[in-house]
Amino acid sequence: MSVPKLEQLSKSVVQGPSLATGAIPKVDWTELPVEFKSGNYAYPAKKDKVEYLNSQKGLYFPNAREWSPEDDDWKFPENWKEIIIKGLAERLNKFRSLKIFMDCCVRCGACADKCHFFLGTGDPRNMPVMRAELLRSIYRNDFTLAGKVLGKMAGGRELTVGVLKEWFMYSYQCTECRRCSVFCPYGIDTAEITMMMRELLHLVGVGINWILEPVSNSNRTGNHMGLQPHTFKDNVDFLADDIENLTGIRITPTFNRKGAEVLFITPSADVFAEPGLYTAMGYLLLFEHIGIDYTWSTYASEGGNFGLFTNNESMKKLNAKMYAEARRLGVKFIIGGECGHMWRVLHQYMDTMNGPADFLEVPKSPMTGTVFSNAASTKMVHISEFTADLIKHGKLSIDKSRNSHVKATFHDSCNPARAMGLLDEPRYILDHVVDWVEMPENTIRERTFCCGSGTGLNTDEIMELRMRSGLPRANAVKYVEDRHGVNTLACVCAIDRATLTSLMGYWNPNVTVCGISELVGNSLVMDGETRGELEEGLRTMVF
Amino acid sequence: MTLEEALRNNRYKIVDRWVAYTLTTYEASSFFLKEKDAFANPIGATVRDALKKLFALLMQDAESEQLKEPLSRMMHLRSVQDFSPAQAVAPLNAVKHITREVLAADKETAPLTAELYDFEFRVDLAMLAAFDLYVACREKIYQLRIDEIKSGKHTLTDGGCPSQALKNIAGTKG
Ligand code: SF4
Ligand code: SF4
Repeated sequence: MSVPKLEQLSKSVVQGPSLATGAIPKVDWTELPVEFKSGNYAYPAKKDKVEYLNSQKGLYFPNAREWSPEDDDWKFPENWKEIIIKGLAERLNKFRSLKIFMDCCVRCGACADKCHFFLGTGDPRNMPVMRAELLRSIYRNDFTLAGKVLGKMAGGRELTVGVLKEWFMYSYQCTECRRCSVFCPYGIDTAEITMMMRELLHLVGVGINWILEPVSNSNRTGNHMGLQPHTFKDNVDFLADDIENLTGIRITPTFNRKGAEVLFITPSADVFAEPGLYTAMGYLLLFEHIGIDYTWSTYASEGGNFGLFTNNESMKKLNAKMYAEARRLGVKFIIGGECGHMWRVLHQYMDTMNGPADFLEVPKSPMTGTVFSNAASTKMVHISEFTADLIKHGKLSIDKSRNSHVKATFHDSCNPARAMGLLDEPRYILDHVVDWVEMPENTIRERTFCCGSGTGLNTDEIMELRMRSGLPRANAVKYVEDRHGVNTLACVCAIDRATLTSLMGYWNPNVTVCGISELVGNSLVMDGETRGELEEGLRTMVF
Repeated sequence: MTLEEALRNNRYKIVDRWVAYTLTTYEASSFFLKEKDAFANPIGATVRDALKKLFALLMQDAESEQLKEPLSRMMHLRSVQDFSPAQAVAPLNAVKHITREVLAADKETAPLTAELYDFEFRVDLAMLAAFDLYVACREKIYQLRIDEIKSGKHTLTDGGCPSQALKNIAGTKG
């Protein structure tokens, strides 16, 4: 029997689509068309969702239709090319940053190996510079003199259906995490280039369901899940029941209460899905502990803003809802829960879209008197900033030993870390409530690795894609698990709480995921409590 | 020189070539080979570490239980990447060819290639174990999908009930 030679093995392993077919592609990867197959793309948005969104005031989602990425014909409108070129022209005019990002990349390559999608796949088109090039090449061809004259020689290429397919593939293999921009000497933000590619695709009716359905739900009922007011209230009340079972403390949260001092807004996932539920229990306990005058809203019942992942109009509209509710209830300021992209919208876009929120007051902690001047314009303070300030002023009664079952590490969620600079407050809280260690330096703070499932890529049909893009994060967690016996990954983002749970389930199954406020809730010593030994804190099952 | 000594003397060379070979199955192989920081290059670091351990075990007649840890790490990687099942596992087999070539290239060790049967048989067994682990990883992926659906997130989509969502998993399109 002849043994296959290493050479032959290589050919079929490296180049062949399969050992079985033996077919070997003959062209360079840049010329290869993208191939959509089950597991590498998220399902397209349903026609009725797109139609609904398009019918809504202030929103524009034209060309709704049934289509599939696996079909050759994506049923683009006839004048698709004109639509895209016009859309790009408008955006180059409207967003100065886009024009700069299109012009100033010197292809130094500093960003190339910084993206978790590249690191987990080895696919060169996942290098941020190449991802941007997908749009930039069209820009060069149609919007620069050199491109118009020299075409390909000046790095331009013609806009074809194949290019749009590439945009769809690679703008949905970017979580807009902005890690690459930290390393770019010119500060080019590839995330914003991805945003533009997604916006342009929406103009020709191409988007994914996992994003557009939450957007339409949020537009309709105020939250991703489409939970109606009574369901939202019931869920929070259930959590209050659980807290009573665990601690003997009865909490009666209020909803839509006019005249409350503070409006509290958090991702809806916190009030209905594990492990976010425990984080929400943490909020309830904390607010009860300090006796703050606050209310939940069943209308502004979502911190998350999937509009950010579609186009600037939807982002603006969903963001506006929080402020409309704050105005209606007449609160003084807003406390925001542990969400990721809500804070990105707040810190980077809110002011020019809907702000400044002058009808509110600059947040001032009623317990400590601290004025959060960093939130002077948005009037919204992060729960971790608020909690860290309480701890600093000795306003919380904490028993750290109540977290002795936990050895934690901290995942900086991309948006709070890179888009708002929330780096030290969560760490300060952790120092006081739990035993914890840092992950390696090049994987934390500004250089943190994304969970791999942000920007609406947290849908189950692309699970293996999520697992490979989450590898750099999981790899760093494994290191502290092996070295320090870490069993818990704490974070301040609802998408992370859900997606890191799956990521850990695959790569590091002994590590559980929690929010910072859950650890705070675990450790609080409440007045009048009758709590027994809660071996797993708020997660302990009591009967 | 015994075969055992020859393998031990040549282990760095063999593992280096095995790692390089495995990494050529990625388009960005040169980066994965070059970058030494384990956190800046998790694929390169995982492959290097796992294959190093694996070779040390294959040199001796290690228990198959021991092979599991490094094999499992390799399969965790490759079962979620863009490979067919055969492509995912194939690079493990390469160590047979590499070892043979390395030993054959040196006059002193060339005669020992005739004794490689046991070593190669162990590689075959490792390959078989890797297939099992590959399938276990794929099953884990499906389990995680089901867990996510059950955790309540299905209310997000018109899939509605979990059984509809499970149908979507079974089919190819949503
Ligand atoms: S923003 Fe994040 S996901 Fe997108 S290219 Fe940059 S590093 Fe990659
Ligand atoms: S680091 Fe900046 S300038 Fe350099 S290639 Fe990347 S985007 Fe271009």
